[in-house]
Amino acid sequence: MNFESLQDLYSGASGALAPLLWLTGGLLAVLICDITPVLIKLRPAVVPAALLGAAWSAAQLIANPSGPVLGGTFIGDSQTGAFTLIFVLATLLAWGQARRYYDQEKSFIGEHDALLITAPIGMILMAGAQDMIVFFIGLELLSIPLYCLAAFRRTRDESVEAGLRYFILGAFGVALFLMGAGLVYTAAGTLNIESLTHARVALGTPLGGMGLALIMGSLLFKAGVVPFHLWVPDVYQGSPTPVTTLMATGTKAAAFAFLLRFAPVLPPEAGYPLGIIAVVTLAMGNLGALVQKDLKRLLAWSGIAHAGLLLLVIAAAVTATGTGEQAQILNAATSALLFYLLAYAFAAGGALGLVAWMEADGEDHTSLSRWQGLGSVRPGIAAGMTLFLLSLGGIPATGGFLGKWLAFSAAVRADMLPLAVLGALTSVVAMGYYLRVVITIWMKPRPEAWATPRIDRPLAAFLAGFCAAMVLALGLLPGFVLGPLF
Amino acid sequence: MPLLTLIIFTPLLGALLLALVPIREVKVLRAIALGFTLVTTLLGFLVWQGFDPGEAALQLTEVHPWFELPGALAANYSLGVDGISILLVALTAFLMPLVLISTTQAITTRVREFLIWMLIMEAGMLGVFLAADLFLFYVFWEVSLVPLYFMLGIWGGQKRLYATLKFFLFTLAGSLVMLIGAIALVYQAGTLDIAALTQWAGAESLSVQGWLFAAFALAFAIKVPLLPFHTWLPDAHTEAPTAGSVILAGVLLKMGTYGLLRFGIAMFPLAALEASTLFMILGAAGIVYGAFLAMAQTDVKRLIACSSVSHLGFVVLGMFALTSAGLRGSVLQMVNHGLSTGLLFLLIGMVYERRHSRELSDYGGIARVMPMFAFFFVFSVLSSVGLPGLNGFVGEWLILLGAFEASPVLTGVGVTGVVFGAVYLLRATRLMLFGEITSDQNRALTDLTGREIGLLTPICLLCLVIGVMPGPFIERTEASLEVIEQRLDAARDQQAARAELERPAVPAEESAR
Repeated sequence: MNFESLQDLYSGASGALAPLLWLTGGLLAVLICDITPVLIKLRPAVVPAALLGAAWSAAQLIANPSGPVLGGTFIGDSQTGAFTLIFVLATLLAWGQARRYYDQEKSFIGEHDALLITAPIGMILMAGAQDMIVFFIGLELLSIPLYCLAAFRRTRDESVEAGLRYFILGAFGVALFLMGAGLVYTAAGTLNIESLTHARVALGTPLGGMGLALIMGSLLFKAGVVPFHLWVPDVYQGSPTPVTTLMATGTKAAAFAFLLRFAPVLPPEAGYPLGIIAVVTLAMGNLGALVQKDLKRLLAWSGIAHAGLLLLVIAAAVTATGTGEQAQILNAATSALLFYLLAYAFAAGGALGLVAWMEADGEDHTSLSRWQGLGSVRPGIAAGMTLFLLSLGGIPATGGFLGKWLAFSAAVRADMLPLAVLGALTSVVAMGYYLRVVITIWMKPRPEAWATPRIDRPLAAFLAGFCAAMVLALGLLPGFVLGPLF
Repeated sequence: MPLLTLIIFTPLLGALLLALVPIREVKVLRAIALGFTLVTTLLGFLVWQGFDPGEAALQLTEVHPWFELPGALAANYSLGVDGISILLVALTAFLMPLVLISTTQAITTRVREFLIWMLIMEAGMLGVFLAADLFLFYVFWEVSLVPLYFMLGIWGGQKRLYATLKFFLFTLAGSLVMLIGAIALVYQAGTLDIAALTQWAGAESLSVQGWLFAAFALAFAIKVPLLPFHTWLPDAHTEAPTAGSVILAGVLLKMGTYGLLRFGIAMFPLAALEASTLFMILGAAGIVYGAFLAMAQTDVKRLIACSSVSHLGFVVLGMFALTSAGLRGSVLQMVNHGLSTGLLFLLIGMVYERRHSRELSDYGGIARVMPMFAFFFVFSVLSSVGLPGLNGFVGEWLILLGAFEASPVLTGVGVTGVVFGAVYLLRATRLMLFGEITSDQNRALTDLTGREIGLLTPICLLCLVIGVMPGPFIERTEASLEVIEQRLDAARDQQAARAELERPAVPAEESAR
């Protein structure tokens, strides 16, 4: 390869790769600060600085999309930029929640930050991947740090168990993907997504079909969709809460970001079956959440249900493949996914943040019964939790509602009316368990013997307030918040 | 002056202020809340005055772009009031301060929260009636659920948690089906403006209208509540604090009948014509069934709650007769039911505060110790059973007149409801007020205080005014209802034309022979 072709390869790549460069720079800086006694005081500032830098360059990307780069294997368009913002947000929330969370693992906080900032690099690669191999690298860059982070409270059995479980099942999912990609390559002779969309005949063969099915299996595994959902409750519950935040908001967004890119490759006949899987996921997730007594587990099951609704949007996009309305529906699906994931990140991230905050006062605060009557002693925290849950339940005036509206619009546009109605009705079940939490917090008396929880955590308070403000802003003034994004 | 924005945002501003002021003095908090509701009442009066009875379209309109997500959604913040909503707006603004005054003795814990929810509730209900944009309407529709949920759940009775959850989930199930219907409607029509949607939907075929009508009507039928969906109402009413019951009966249920009229009948006239018999049957069945339920109750609050099912059956019966008298009667009866049932709930609340019992058998003869209470109770009962000269009579008369045109049989069934209504309400009156005083506790009851008389009197006066002089009230609904009638007439023509087409043509040879 001569110099000119190299220059060709990298032309225009600086804009598209800027968020990645910011994060990689941040990663190196964290590692250097960690081993340099003079610089160690700077360490807490490095991660947010790198994340904000990445967010700034992602915003640049949305304003000036740079198109496919690196020989067409990665695309830096506004979609990648917008998803990057969600990833950065998820990481920022997880980072903030982790600040005073680890008391026994304090000495490893440098490693923690380094692992944490690696995850969004993987997510961005997944969101912008135009090539299966780039996606695979992204997937691994995301997963490996998360395996470590899930087990980060290594003195606790549940945390180690969560890490191991996530690792083994994750390895299984990765194996599915590699097998599938191999079969697709054998059938179609390419791993480039753009080329695969034109290789419909080759992918229609049993070999290609099998390959696509395996790839979808691994993607649905990462997204936590039925029937690949059983790892979610255990891992979400066992992992340290900040890591749960990152998994719930970031990993899910990354999986769906790539599903959106991958949707045009799938045959349109796959749309309806996918929609049925989506509705089954919605039902299973909501029914599973109904009986949970642990808040993190409850949020995990509700996360499965949310993944179901997002899959319904993907199904709508798949159905439209090859029809005259493809561009329109794909557009609707993109904005629905983005908005939904953004609102979900604030609501679920905010709720998990409150759980992490309360855990400072005793780890049994992940259990719902410990929140009983909290409204009478800590109305601020109780009100925040209520707002986040109402947003997750899709009640108007919160971001969750508009997300739901956009998601169902995409399904209705794709002529999936029966599925949309079924999906909407499962939300009634969902409201049942969100309200159970609200009832516990506000309507049951607080046992007298319980001390008022301590709340001396300015950063946690700030993050919760920020999330609450954004949930409301997304519900009431979405244009003001998103004007520049859409 | 943006009157409608002011009327919605005044209570919200009050709620915000209550949440933020660092005052702990309960009296001051109550005064602040009352002040804001009184300003809202004043604004409601201005709306009433500024309303032009001759104009059929939305009045006092305000339109501002709210947000736009290109290719997906462009919602406007647009408000307006017309003949369908003016009475309900006025009713809401009128009732709220009185309800607030009624809570000074009843609500003593977590007062600040309670007042905040009351004010948010008021804004939500006014928003539902005033929204001229479907998205805005839906936002207000569901937001108004939340305050009542908290009011029931925190300040309710023994079985409140069960009742709260049931109320919320029932209503939500309907709302979500409506949400899908709204999305399908908006996607096909390409606008969120309710007036434009009404224009669009009226021109569509029956198959399109039918499904959308079904989606919307289900949500409203649950809210009303219409017969098979009524089970949440007695529970919610019984467990709610007095103020919650009054708001629920007075205004919140009217959101259902209002929706049936604006989104069911006005928007999808063809489908409404097809569904009219079904709804009239459900209405008539609700009248009789609710009355039977009420007759069997021993808890007086539950009795009133069941009578609500019966009375709202009347409203639906008249509305879906789709005749001019029926429509007018049902619109007026919405207000009447709000006033008389609201009065009854207030009175039950007052006596409950003294005696802490709602069992009919615990009372008896209390007219001797509480003559003022007896006067107001009898007045409210008479207003509720439709005594000529009081408000209930005018509404019921118009409804039965209108329903008779459409279906004499069902009207006959409905009329029995009037008789049954007299039976259970007068029975309750006799058991509570008259006869010998059997319990010593009842001997010690004190009569109504000046505050209580003061808050009941305006409602009673309004009952009397509507009963004697319904003109100004019906007059304001006239123009808008005429437009609905025209749409219905056009739909009837269309229906007739279609029947003509479907009639098997007489073979030519046979006629030649």
